[in-house]
Amino acid sequence: MTDLLQNLINGLAIGSVYAIFALGYTLVFSILGIINFAHGAVFTLGAYFTYTLVVGQFENNGLIKGFNLFPAGSPFHGTPWAFALAALIGATLSGLVAVLIERLAFRPMRARGADPLLALVSSLGVALVIVNLIQILVGAESYNFPPDIYGDLKPALILHVGGKLIVVRTVQVIIFAVSMLLLLILGYVIGRTRTGKALRAVAENPGTASLLGISVSRFIVITFFLSGFLGGLAGTLVSTAFSVAGPYFGVTYGLKGLAVIVLGGLGSIPGAVVGGLVIGLAEAFVPSQYSAYREAVAFALLFVMLLLRPQGLLGQRLIQKV
Amino acid sequence: MDFLQTYGFLIVTMLQQGLLGLSLYFPLMAGQLSLASPGFYALGGYIAAIMLTSPAFAGWRDALGGWIFPLTWVLAALASALLGVIVGVPALRLRGIYLALATIAFVQILQVVSLNLDITGGAVGLFGIPQAFGFEDRWQYIWIFLPLTVLVLLFARQLERSRVGRALRAIREDELAADAVGISPTRYKVLAFVIGAALAGIVGAMSAPFLNTWNARQGTFDASIAFLAYTLIGGSRSLWGPLLGGALLSSLPELLRGLADWRLVINGLVLVVASLYLPQGIVGALSKLRRPVPPKRPPVAPPPALPLGDAP
Repeated sequence: MTDLLQNLINGLAIGSVYAIFALGYTLVFSILGIINFAHGAVFTLGAYFTYTLVVGQFENNGLIKGFNLFPAGSPFHGTPWAFALAALIGATLSGLVAVLIERLAFRPMRARGADPLLALVSSLGVALVIVNLIQILVGAESYNFPPDIYGDLKPALILHVGGKLIVVRTVQVIIFAVSMLLLLILGYVIGRTRTGKALRAVAENPGTASLLGISVSRFIVITFFLSGFLGGLAGTLVSTAFSVAGPYFGVTYGLKGLAVIVLGGLGSIPGAVVGGLVIGLAEAFVPSQYSAYREAVAFALLFVMLLLRPQGLLGQRLIQKV
Repeated sequence: MDFLQTYGFLIVTMLQQGLLGLSLYFPLMAGQLSLASPGFYALGGYIAAIMLTSPAFAGWRDALGGWIFPLTWVLAALASALLGVIVGVPALRLRGIYLALATIAFVQILQVVSLNLDITGGAVGLFGIPQAFGFEDRWQYIWIFLPLTVLVLLFARQLERSRVGRALRAIREDELAADAVGISPTRYKVLAFVIGAALAGIVGAMSAPFLNTWNARQGTFDASIAFLAYTLIGGSRSLWGPLLGGALLSSLPELLRGLADWRLVINGLVLVVASLYLPQGIVGALSKLRRPVPPKRPPVAPPPALPLGDAP
């Protein structure tokens, strides 16, 4: 019972990050019908941006030493507010990088109506460039966020249930709260606002949308910005929770994000949320004696889902194109 | 033999990677983009590595001598083909990006499994794999990779010209139409997938002694992507595309060695630029060069009357 509760808490926290990370994938897929493999690299970048801004030290052989937004002595130094601001700026920068990626790697291809599979290779090329630039600029080592990054509140909650301890870490509460808040905001923007309506129109049919006077390329830029923002923020949240961010940190998450969006239904926004939570929980519930196989859970679910129901949990039925 | 001493390793690597690119070409003949090759490559390598190092096979090695190597190739091909059928029959119901994702998942699962089994040496992998036929230099692997390349090319060419090849092409162009004229898409798609799997398995079995060690890093997502890049950048519509793409892209990091840290960045840029400006791949671009003016499409002939008189 206590294990169940602890697993549930862990699963919801990590699952909610999977969800916001995967949302970035699925937004781009729903608009362009391509999978942006550079999303994992943007995720890594987000963590690095925030780390640079708030810790600002890379003590190694890289080219850049860091840029501290709040050096010792400045008013917000070491407070959770400094971290929150840095995380926001980091996510915004990630969003801008994603816009740049669209500009350089996808737009020229779209103009020619190229095979979507080529976009796959092109975005992988971008990922390769980003990951290796990180290595060159700040080195191949992993960096840890200081443990008190969210202030000295941890752990938020310790429950005694039947003689056992259930620990809810502050990080987990914050991750879950931030993710849910983002999802609500995004849901509102996409479901209720004019911008959201236009986005949905572009996703449905770009040709018709542009006939209706919607600037398709502007909404593609917005989509990529949102995607990069969510990906970058997810990178920061994950790296603070597990205290590690190396250059290759995004690769596994990039692949898991694919499992998440397929599980939920490619292109489905609620699907990405459900998929993220399902995979987070499934991983948390792997019994500890099989923990070595935890990394395979997402892919096993992906494989089985594709075989049983390729449209995913919440996806619309695939129309077979003849 | 100074030339071979210097460049032999590179040439063998180019052949090896070209062959792996070709392993994607067979499913592509039926229009199926599979990224499963690294899984079969890893499996083949593990089979060879285990047979060549495990004490359990010491008796076999003594009895067979040099013949143990061809035996590992055959077993790797059979095991990969078998696994190919098991994975291919359900997975090939999927198309396009869905098939690509399912095969990526397959490779990931195999990788996690191989990281955790005792027989595969876990995370450390297997090492000290004896050199094939007592080769003393890496370049000598050219004597097994080159004949394999020639054989595969000949086989693929024959296959393309055969009834099976025409059936595969028909499925690639229009699966429903192929089905309608009595070609079983599933059977042919699985066949093409299995041929690619067996090839990747053999290359793995040849590569384990070549690389001397074998571990879970051999069959990764990165490899899936590398092989896909070989095929798309070389040209996916011609036999020569994947081979050329594999040879060129795998030699790129070596050729850029002088640029040390920057070579992987440049490798990435090459992928971006090539996919933007060579949509038909290198082979496609070359064949366009040969006839600079693209031939106008012939006017579409009116469809012949259907013998059964049904309205189309």
